[in-house]
Amino acid sequence: MLRPASVIAVLCAFAMASVVSAEPLHREIDRLIAARAGDVPAARPADDAEFLRRIYLDLAGRIPSVQEARAFLDDESTDKRAQLIDRLLASPDYPRRMQEQFHVMLMERLGDHPEWQKYLRESFAANKPWDQLAREILGGGLQDGQPKGAAFFYAKRLENYGQNPVDYPGLTRDVGRLFLGMDLACAQCHNHLFIKSYKQADFQGLHAFFQNTFLAGGLNIGEKPTTQKLGFQSVFKKEPLETAPRVPGLPELELPAIEKGKEFIKAPDPKTKAPGVLRFSPLAKLAEQLPTAENAAFSKNIVNRLWWVMLGRGLVHPLDLHHADNPASHPELLDLLAKEFVEHKYDIQWLLRELALSQTYQRSSVLPNAAEPPSPALFLVAHEKRVSAEQLLHSMLEATGERANVKEGTALDQLQLKFLRAFANPRREPEDTFNPSLKAALFVLNDDTVLGWLNPKSGNLAQRLADLQDADKLAEELYLSVLARRPTGLEKQEVAAYLMKKGDQREQAIKHLAWALLASTEFSVNH
Amino acid sequence: MNFSRLCTPNEHLINRRQWLGGTAAGLLGLACPTLADELKKKAKQVLFVWLDGGLSQLESWDPKPNTQFGGPFRAIPTAVPGIQVSELLPRTAKQMQHLAIVRSLCTKDNSHSAGVARIQRGDPKNRGVTYPFFGSAVAKWLGAGESGLPPYIWIKPGSGGFIPEDAGFLGPKYGALALGDGKPPENLLLNKSLTEADDIERNELRAKLDQRYAEQRRREVVEAQQYIFDMAAQLRKHRAIFDQSTFAPKDVERYGSHEFGRHMLLARRVLEAGVRFVKVNSYGWDTHGDNFNGHANLVPKVDQAFASLIEDLADRKMLDNVLVVMMSEFGRTPRINGHIGRDHWPEAWSLVMAGCGVKRGVVVGKTNNLGTYVDGPEHDIGHLFHTWFKALGVDPQNNEYDNNRQPLPIAHDDCQPIAELLS
Repeated sequence: MLRPASVIAVLCAFAMASVVSAEPLHREIDRLIAARAGDVPAARPADDAEFLRRIYLDLAGRIPSVQEARAFLDDESTDKRAQLIDRLLASPDYPRRMQEQFHVMLMERLGDHPEWQKYLRESFAANKPWDQLAREILGGGLQDGQPKGAAFFYAKRLENYGQNPVDYPGLTRDVGRLFLGMDLACAQCHNHLFIKSYKQADFQGLHAFFQNTFLAGGLNIGEKPTTQKLGFQSVFKKEPLETAPRVPGLPELELPAIEKGKEFIKAPDPKTKAPGVLRFSPLAKLAEQLPTAENAAFSKNIVNRLWWVMLGRGLVHPLDLHHADNPASHPELLDLLAKEFVEHKYDIQWLLRELALSQTYQRSSVLPNAAEPPSPALFLVAHEKRVSAEQLLHSMLEATGERANVKEGTALDQLQLKFLRAFANPRREPEDTFNPSLKAALFVLNDDTVLGWLNPKSGNLAQRLADLQDADKLAEELYLSVLARRPTGLEKQEVAAYLMKKGDQREQAIKHLAWALLASTEFSVNH
Repeated sequence: MNFSRLCTPNEHLINRRQWLGGTAAGLLGLACPTLADELKKKAKQVLFVWLDGGLSQLESWDPKPNTQFGGPFRAIPTAVPGIQVSELLPRTAKQMQHLAIVRSLCTKDNSHSAGVARIQRGDPKNRGVTYPFFGSAVAKWLGAGESGLPPYIWIKPGSGGFIPEDAGFLGPKYGALALGDGKPPENLLLNKSLTEADDIERNELRAKLDQRYAEQRRREVVEAQQYIFDMAAQLRKHRAIFDQSTFAPKDVERYGSHEFGRHMLLARRVLEAGVRFVKVNSYGWDTHGDNFNGHANLVPKVDQAFASLIEDLADRKMLDNVLVVMMSEFGRTPRINGHIGRDHWPEAWSLVMAGCGVKRGVVVGKTNNLGTYVDGPEHDIGHLFHTWFKALGVDPQNNEYDNNRQPLPIAHDDCQPIAELLS
């Protein structure tokens, strides 16, 4: 279903890219992707319905409502995709979606806190630049006027877990992975055995920022004065080494000589548990030094992650293994994204918009006619992305027409817990790939929650379908509501035949039809 | 500095189609293929009974009656002349001809929080990686077999679910499916609003959609999705296994109607269904106070259920292929403390094992007359891991893990199998 307009757009993009260099980023993306692809055939452009569902899931965190789907598919304006992208970025769904996405990415199901959620929601509603977000999170909310919720990133990781001691190496590892794209875990005890650039000194230097941090209670992060370098040695070479706090790639911090007893500007208050303010705070230094334009790892990590959010696979893959022997699939593109992102002042909405406008994003997930599917790293076919527990909940509510019946607050929170139990990964497992689980299947198969939504109630999907006597109309309403597309002729026939076969068991037939769509792979992934 | 679950840099590369909980993958694909093929014929299985905390060796396998620390219980003869056990184990004593007792355990940890994992991971040399529990390791090496059930099932009191943590660096798919209170996974049973016919019909509709969706797309996604729905159906097909109301009353009486008895009876069923590794947990083995009443209460339940299960496995000729191990985190101090209790004692303690090529009716190792220390060669958990793997046909000499190019021995490199245990 190639629409002439998009073909022309593609042709124009290629033609112009060769002469003009100051192209919008989305054209540059397509140019660089095409350059690398050579003769390998790409998937056709996504049709309107594929695009519609994908962009809603990515930017609004849910599938479109049946009205939204109908309106978009019937809209004949040529720039309707760009319009929709802008509409979604401006919608109240967007900050919620980003809140959920960044919560899952940064906390990896370790835990949750209302202040953290509020912080994320407000930050994305204000389109806060990424460097500022990173500064606030890495600063641990120690400075006056910093949003408290940001401290949860540290607070949760500085908790004792059961009887285990605080996992400081785990915290170090997470900061390296999530903010620099470097999993330094193996460099804790020795230089990394396979990755030349991951040195034990990098791990230990980063670790030294956190050695004196502690959880003072609630979301209060405390720091004890850092007066000495951190000693360490390799398990292979017993030779004492030491390092001051150091961001990988930067020089060590100079530890200032501060007279004993004068370490604090504001002393800790044991009564209020306020942790005090240090004259020399490693966390403040980390927040100052890590999220900067000069630190290439910082910008490359985040553009790679935002690319992954939209495209389903990192240019550098896995996301936390940026190093010389694991180069980006498109190194120039990664550099370009990083450079432009910095020039646009870490504007997340801007980058997401450019990614969404690219033809690369707007490819179908249907394979091109070729003997071999193209390598995933070429980005010539849309990746089928995981749908998070949160996206799934919002989408199921939308599909079944039950959204109006669930109030924000307790009811929604309880549903969310159920969905997390069924669909989220265990703690610390990044949710970066589609991995269906048995407990998820059993939930969809037999839990009362989803099945209950398929009983007719005023205005919900089952009721709307029950009211439609014409089988074709029923099929269209069903497919548009659940899969955000119109049924094919064959699918209409199948619906009609099944309804006919079930005779007077119509309510049950509708329930089975709707359930089958909800349980289908097509619904379960973002394709 | 503590070591977190480190050194799994490439773990994102691993296709995490874990078993329940996270994800799913072809169960037959779980084990390394050639070895799995070879072992499948022999269908080795493991029953691992974990007495959480510390069973007192003096009140069980290594009694020292009428000595300074011996406590009040007598020693009784067993079916094997010359071997005696505590009088708290009368039924097991009658099965001694099937069992091997190890009295020379000397392990390294006496703290609870670390002990469970340390022992069950085989306490290998620290290479900064988190080793799998024995159950996950067996799942990895021997695969799920053809039971249609997960390779590693854990029957325990309390909550259930999928426990990926046990798998360590092997990745979540080798985790344990825990049957909390012996119950099946949540939502396993067909929703009460549906009939079997409904279920078939709705899944046919779903399969048709998936087939169409898959036609022009990469295979992996649909296949993974199909796999877990098949698995759900498989497990439900086996649901009778989990129905404790159908235990034969005679068996319930033999095993005991208490929790541990029912769980061991369930373990027998699960083993009979062909599950590769079954772990049964019993809690409450921490008698820092009132040790003797504590053991007088705890041990007979274990005696009853364990002896019955050994007897049944022997009767069914399953003992040739099922490796049975029953153990704790550590033993208990010979010294009796001020609360008439015994504390943690990793220095000299005992365990019992049977089946799968383990010598029958033997005692290996001994402690000194007071039971305070091992007299002769000491055996750490690493030696036992070597012994168990060898009994299962996975020789640690010839097999190693490949943790994303990092070669790792499957058991402590400085230990060997205990030759006296293997026939």
